[in-house]
Amino acid sequence: MNSNHDANSNAAAQDSACDLLTVHVVRAIGVRKTYHLGGETVHALRGVHLSVKRGEYVSIMGPSGSGKSTLFNMIGGLDKPDEGRVFIDEVDIAALDAFELAWLRCHKIGYIFQTFNLIPVASALDNVTMPMVLAGMSQADAQDKAVGLLKKVGLGDRLLHKSVELSGGQQQRVAVARALANDPAIILADEPTGNLDLKTGEEVIRILEKLKDEYHVTILTATHDHKMLAASDRVVYLSDGQITSIKNRSELDIKIGHIGKEH
Amino acid sequence: MNDQQPETRNRSAGSGSPEAFGNGSPPPLILRGGPSPEAIQKQIRLPFRKAVQIAWRNIRVRLARSLLVTSGIILALAFLAYILCSDALARHLAANGPAALIETLRREGTLATLNDADTRTQTWWLVGLALLVSFVGILNAMLMSVTERFSEIGTMKCLGALDSLIVELFLLETTFQGVVGTTIGIGIGLVLAFAEGLILYGSAAWRVVPLGAIAQLVGICALVGIGLTIAGALYPAWRAAKMQPVDAMRTEI
Repeated sequence: MNSNHDANSNAAAQDSACDLLTVHVVRAIGVRKTYHLGGETVHALRGVHLSVKRGEYVSIMGPSGSGKSTLFNMIGGLDKPDEGRVFIDEVDIAALDAFELAWLRCHKIGYIFQTFNLIPVASALDNVTMPMVLAGMSQADAQDKAVGLLKKVGLGDRLLHKSVELSGGQQQRVAVARALANDPAIILADEPTGNLDLKTGEEVIRILEKLKDEYHVTILTATHDHKMLAASDRVVYLSDGQITSIKNRSELDIKIGHIGKEH
Repeated sequence: MNDQQPETRNRSAGSGSPEAFGNGSPPPLILRGGPSPEAIQKQIRLPFRKAVQIAWRNIRVRLARSLLVTSGIILALAFLAYILCSDALARHLAANGPAALIETLRREGTLATLNDADTRTQTWWLVGLALLVSFVGILNAMLMSVTERFSEIGTMKCLGALDSLIVELFLLETTFQGVVGTTIGIGIGLVLAFAEGLILYGSAAWRVVPLGAIAQLVGICALVGIGLTIAGALYPAWRAAKMQPVDAMRTEI
């Protein structure tokens, strides 16, 4: 091992010793990001360390402007940090070229957005098929798999409906199926329930939780809604570009104060 | 790729990837619940046939906009084809037509205008303007189309679409419109030119048709039409492809 040790020591410190043998599917090390908006400098992230274990359901909580989305974009390989590094499945995303990054997005990461972002003109089936087609799967195989996934999210009877013909909750369930299409290592859900009412939102979270175990994926979700935290194994509180605390599921209910050692 | 150690997730080239385990310890595969690890690969290009299908679907659902672009191309190309064809007809008749007709043409001054530099320059200016208007129309429509689809493009990129696919889709879309518009435009232009010839020169216009010259002008028009549409779509397509997915997602319209 080389200089990585120093870089990691900070991040590793937050995890207990038994985690040593667990592979982290996401690791963000000292991630900083600064935006320049019309002469004004905005520090979106000020050195964030975060490790997510395989199979975990981690929620990132924070008010808007806390750097939540920025952190998400970094982890999703949609944006690159100014400083620090982000590893997805132990691969440094900053070292990837455009083709590898596209492959990573296609195969390793499933995205779920607040605004669903289905291709509006395509059917539910086509939307779920799309990432598999981009991955090079044959149309027939992709369709079979897409039908299976849509049945899993309870939309077996809506296969050919266009997204405009679906309700918000149904659209988000299509998005869940689409995110799972290429058996990703991680699903990134940025405010997945932000545009849904409570009941529909909970339904989507429940489906996510159920499919997480079935498909062995890790789920990282951003939210500012306390009601959506029930499924989380850990909750990371982000404020002003820094992690202020990290709570485990057991600590959520009784609300013991800070346990995180970040800064 | 890392052939010797297929179980590691590190890229062979990614020297900086930290390894959480000592060199001697076995890779903790047992502890991994997920699918078997694989090394990072390069994203493949989508088969052309598939890209055509997607582009065709995009056109179908935005038919009104497509027709607008297409009609612009039709107008410009019809004008170009008409000018070229009527010129070719007149020249051909002047050289090969019946003597009586040539005499009439000379008396009416048609032959003189045929070779008059000023008239010709004027005509070409008009043709140029028509093409320019059509070009701007395509550019505008395609830019709007890109703006309208910001989040769709961003989503496609998040799902693993390469920049080249985005360019391909936009170019294919305009090429469809270009081919249809050019074909119809040339057809209309030729019909108009022949109809005019019939009125001006009578049935002689039909009897001595300069096939070679017409084939040539059809070829020129086809090149101009397709070139025009692709030129109009290049910048919008490039803009769409260069857009960062994160920006594309952020935009709310």
